[in-house]
Amino acid sequence: MTTRTTTPPALHVRDVTVRFAGLTALDDVSFTVAPGTLHAVIGPNGAGKSTCFNVLSGLYRPARGSVRLGDEELTRLAPHRIAALGVARTFQNIVTTQGTVADNLMLGRHVLSRSGFAASALRLPRALREQREHLAAARGIAELTGLGEHFETPVALLSYGDRKRVELARALCLEPRVLLLDEPVAGMNAAERARTAEVVRDIRAELGLSVVLVEHDMGLVMRLADEVTVLDFGKAIAHGTPDEVRGDPEVLRAYLGTETTGEDAA
Amino acid sequence: MSDVLTSVLRRRGWTLLLALLLFALPFYLDAFWLRIGLFSMAAAIGAVGIGLLSGTAGQLSLGHAFFLAVGAYGYVWLAGEPGPGLPPALAVLLAVLLAGAAGGLFSPVAGRVKGIYLGVATLALVFLGHHVLLTADSVTGGFNGRSVPPLELGGFSFTEADPGLTVLGVPFGAEERLWYLGLALFALTWFTARGLLRGRPGRALVALRDSETAASVMGVHVAKYRSAAFVVSSMYAGLAGVLLALSFRRVVPDYFSLALSVDYLAMIVIGGLGSVAGATAGAVFVTGLPLLMTRYADQLPLVATPGSGDGSIGPTEAARYLYGAAIVVILLYAPDGLHGLARRTRARLRRRPPVTVPSETGPAPGTSATTARAKEHTP
Repeated sequence: MTTRTTTPPALHVRDVTVRFAGLTALDDVSFTVAPGTLHAVIGPNGAGKSTCFNVLSGLYRPARGSVRLGDEELTRLAPHRIAALGVARTFQNIVTTQGTVADNLMLGRHVLSRSGFAASALRLPRALREQREHLAAARGIAELTGLGEHFETPVALLSYGDRKRVELARALCLEPRVLLLDEPVAGMNAAERARTAEVVRDIRAELGLSVVLVEHDMGLVMRLADEVTVLDFGKAIAHGTPDEVRGDPEVLRAYLGTETTGEDAA
Repeated sequence: MSDVLTSVLRRRGWTLLLALLLFALPFYLDAFWLRIGLFSMAAAIGAVGIGLLSGTAGQLSLGHAFFLAVGAYGYVWLAGEPGPGLPPALAVLLAVLLAGAAGGLFSPVAGRVKGIYLGVATLALVFLGHHVLLTADSVTGGFNGRSVPPLELGGFSFTEADPGLTVLGVPFGAEERLWYLGLALFALTWFTARGLLRGRPGRALVALRDSETAASVMGVHVAKYRSAAFVVSSMYAGLAGVLLALSFRRVVPDYFSLALSVDYLAMIVIGGLGSVAGATAGAVFVTGLPLLMTRYADQLPLVATPGSGDGSIGPTEAARYLYGAAIVVILLYAPDGLHGLARRTRARLRRRPPVTVPSETGPAPGTSATTARAKEHTP
């Protein structure tokens, strides 16, 4: 497997503001994902976590602020250009396409392969060779994510947990430098959660990529994250290591809804 | 060596057998049946094109008739008089490219507008095209259309040319010769379309259809792929148009109406969206049915003989009702079309292997002793 670079560049989010017709979904949000770390973005429902991801992957254009990957400005780029720079994501609700697991994973190889309409239509040797190579790489990633035995299975026949893992594997097929995971264990049972957590930890260790994680499962966040950013009503209210964030009175207020007198909340 | 041969035979056995059958047919069938076959092959090429656009990429097009017309008239003008009078083989190629270019001109719309909205936008093309065909007399011949210059390839003419050709005792007229041209073009279509669908572009188009968002974050350039699907679909339509023109020997504007576009949509729905084999099956069904019903109108109950005009249902209308009904039945009971039906039947048969495996070859083509017989002619 060819990897892009050994260490990914840092992802800088600076003063990002997103408004939807008067509603401010993100308000001056800034954080930095240090190279190779797992950065969790948490917060109550409607805090702006998914909006944040949509800005990072180019689906929303912020009204203000910038997103940079190393020296590359991502803010004004179309989603497919951002993908080509090595930013891959999964979705909160599963978004797979028709076909087998292999078909879905091969979509993940899109930016890494080149065959166009003419080469594929005429089945030129180089198109066929490219297809074979990428199929082998996709199979490897399926093994890595525990989907090896389902490689030829239509996605529609898989269990919920497996389909969520197909999304994860598809994102990995991009060989990303930054991986955005939007609630990767939502709706999973305990065993599936543990399995996915293990996969996330393994791929980080093995591929050395940066991960941005949005998740409601606090146990998972606290175990996996190097750093945490807490959003509430579109504002970043806290940053820090899991332990720092856990004790932060603002965070407790956001989650438990108590008054801001610190002693009460603790 | 023989291992390779047997494995190829096992995998490609049915395809080879079918190809052989199709190859032998002109020796046994008369012009009427060959014409049905020719129109079906042309329709299949066009249906594969719209299948790629509507079935695979999820973009509705009602403008397919326009691109068929571009191909057909493009060939007639390029190879004919008035026109540059190019060598016909070159004219075929250029007509296909012309249809692709016409699709490309429309790509600012085709790349941005999606689904049913594109359908409405392409509606305009059909009306525009029809109007141009009627009014641009010097190029299109106006209402009466133009006769189609015959195709010649390296001195071989696809007509009943003066040096009459007789192969194995069967006289080879225009239909017999065009049959092989049709087969070759259809084989090309089959080969390229399957290559596309199984390759990187096909997966990108499927992703676009299923989720534009997912496709774009996986790196698919949405507008570019939408436009490309439209252009490729137009090129297949252009090729189908050329073959239709050669089979009809005359092109007239009224043929390329909205109804034709709808016919093509019917083909891919009946055949099964997103599959080349399905589009082909649908094309044969939709093309063959009206022709067969016209031919055998006198033997069908409730259907009038053509030209009797006593207020009862004519065969063409009856065929339309029938395939209208076929669409409804298929949508209700086999929403994935003939292709899906075939796949499920095959899966069921495979699950119970000892039960009689039906041979799908159809009746074997006559005995070899009859090869030299003169063919019967359908009145």
